[in-house]
Amino acid sequence: MTRLRIGPLERAERRLGLLLLLPAFALLAGVVLYPIATLLWTSTQQMHLAQPWLEGFVGLENYRRALEDDRFWSSMGNTALYVIITVPGAVVLGLALAMLANLPFRVKWPVRLGLLLPWALPLVFAGLIFRWFFEYEQGVVNAMLHAFGAEPLRWLSTPSLAFIATSLAIIWKSSSFVALVLLAGLQAIPASLYEAADVDGASFWQKFWRITLPMLIPALVVAMIFRTITAIQTFDIPYAMTGGGPGHATETLAMYVHRTTIDVLDFGYGSALAALMFLISLSVTSVYIGHIRRDEGTGG
Amino acid sequence: MTSPLTLRRRALLAAATVPLAATAAPAQAQAPITLRIFTGGQQRPDVMRRILDVYQARNPGIRAEVEVGGATSDQQQQYLNTVLASRDPTLDIALIDVIRPAQWSAARWAEPLDAYLGAQRDAVMARYLPAYREANIVGGRVIALPYFADAQFLYYRRDLLEKHNIAPPRSWDELSAAARTVLAAEGAANPNLRGFSTAGAPIEGTVCTFLVPLWGQGGSLTDAQGRLALDPAQARRALSLWADLRAQNVTPANLAEIVTDRIRVDMQAGNLLFAMQWGYAWNRFQNDPDSQVKGRIGVVPLPAFAGNAAATCIGGWQLAVSAFGRNKAAAVDLVRFLSSPEVSKMQAIMASHLPVFPEVYEDAEVLAANPWFRDARPVVIGARARPVTPRYPEVSETIRTAMNGFLAGTRTADQVLADLTQRLGPVLR
Repeated sequence: MTRLRIGPLERAERRLGLLLLLPAFALLAGVVLYPIATLLWTSTQQMHLAQPWLEGFVGLENYRRALEDDRFWSSMGNTALYVIITVPGAVVLGLALAMLANLPFRVKWPVRLGLLLPWALPLVFAGLIFRWFFEYEQGVVNAMLHAFGAEPLRWLSTPSLAFIATSLAIIWKSSSFVALVLLAGLQAIPASLYEAADVDGASFWQKFWRITLPMLIPALVVAMIFRTITAIQTFDIPYAMTGGGPGHATETLAMYVHRTTIDVLDFGYGSALAALMFLISLSVTSVYIGHIRRDEGTGG
Repeated sequence: MTSPLTLRRRALLAAATVPLAATAAPAQAQAPITLRIFTGGQQRPDVMRRILDVYQARNPGIRAEVEVGGATSDQQQQYLNTVLASRDPTLDIALIDVIRPAQWSAARWAEPLDAYLGAQRDAVMARYLPAYREANIVGGRVIALPYFADAQFLYYRRDLLEKHNIAPPRSWDELSAAARTVLAAEGAANPNLRGFSTAGAPIEGTVCTFLVPLWGQGGSLTDAQGRLALDPAQARRALSLWADLRAQNVTPANLAEIVTDRIRVDMQAGNLLFAMQWGYAWNRFQNDPDSQVKGRIGVVPLPAFAGNAAATCIGGWQLAVSAFGRNKAAAVDLVRFLSSPEVSKMQAIMASHLPVFPEVYEDAEVLAANPWFRDARPVVIGARARPVTPRYPEVSETIRTAMNGFLAGTRTADQVLADLTQRLGPVLR
């Protein structure tokens, strides 16, 4: 390939183009790059508002401290467990919801509303609602157990049950986002494929495994990656439901960051923890970007 | 030494400017100063509003606004942490928990009041109960002024104890026995009735759930220098008190989910026999329209271990002037009014807030509204302080999380002890 020479007119247009990009770049720098740079800078500082006389540069000391901190690892473990449980959970439930919404209903709005309502609800509200569901003495879940003659369970102060209760709330809340993404994917599948399958006498499950699922894979990957990133940042629902309890049993990394900075006022260490969380999110995002690149390469 | 001078200078300045202002234009009189006070939802903002209305009527140049924050001490401080860490000037005064002045002093969020109090400083401070004088002076500087006192008491259902001929318990053993007797007899009539409740969720109040039985056997968390000095045997005994009460079905099964105001709600609904609770609850039991227990509640000092003196956590709320406010002098004047015997009496009558002045406990009108205040004064005077350190949030977080795990049955006493020594050792030294 030979490179074409750029004329003066095109050069001026290029300059104009760059100039027009400048406001967008400045905005991004202000709301993305500057906060990240400040976070990284703070993470190298000893900055504890209750001990201002100790402030100063400490290099990577805060990161070393994190690696030796049991609580960092336990909150990492909890976060990983939330990812492992709630990502597949939300995808399975979301897929079911999407297929339900994709059925040819005569009245569409109740299904659409059911799909959108959990998504539109603020996370903390969802957490508070589910906290009441699982409340020991007045909750609806224990009331149902009671109706079946079972003993009430301490949902929010037994570690395994608290994890199940918070995970159910997260799956309920996030499955509608997954369903919206998958619904778009479902509607892109040509109806002719199903018609051909019907002619061949295929059953519902044969159509699901041979047509729906393979055609839905790109949408599923996108939904899963977005869900994974939000699962890594899990905060609101466990915060509202258990406050991280009992003990530290449901404390996530984001909750530990919040506690370190906002409760304890240890901004330096909290920033290091946040930077580590950012690193994990970034690596997942890079998997996503890599996947899109590969798609573009093969698909066209 | 400089403060009387500045005061005099200010007075001279005021005297010099008044005739000028008067001759200029009366219509252009000084614009009213608006002061913004932060308080918690549980500290009766409605009562503060009525008190501020009195102040506004006397000081036409001042308008005072109340901003109501979260329900718990921790939630309130979380909000204040973000406001003050960003040096926001919109708050002039904040009502803070008795455990906070050291942190506020270290972070330089509170305007020290010594210069404003001037020569009167020692005389002003001498009028308060000693514990509150000490709690608000950090490193020799007055960081805040007390608004109301508090301590934990044992609330009990007088009607139920009288029915079963039981005297209010003085020891934990007596409490457990009384609860089991009453529950066995009343369980059929009210299956929701529980024996005893205290804070167990991972919140500030749960720190006292650990400290009260520790202190109640002569133990201590820190030594005189503020270093960690936890005796393992005493700590184990404190923890086993809660384990035993749970095993005897005296405390609710979900104690690890109980927050402070939930105890008040349960008792108010008639579902609780005994409660370890702060002073504010009395007024709610007596006066709330939905209270099922009006006139049926008694208050006594908390039980002790047999052979020991009872102990209780000191509580109470202080008024700090923000270092970032724009009208600090006016804010200090308002704080001095809010921290006066007059307002202490108003709060005692309207909200059963315990007074910070010893003489207000003797006041006839106060005693008419709160007959139990006569016995409350020695309890408040004998109440003990949680560790005083600027790093108190870390101390609190460690204790309440460990306790919450213990009460939920996920941490053993040995694990709790290990958590406390490992984590508090580097902070309390």
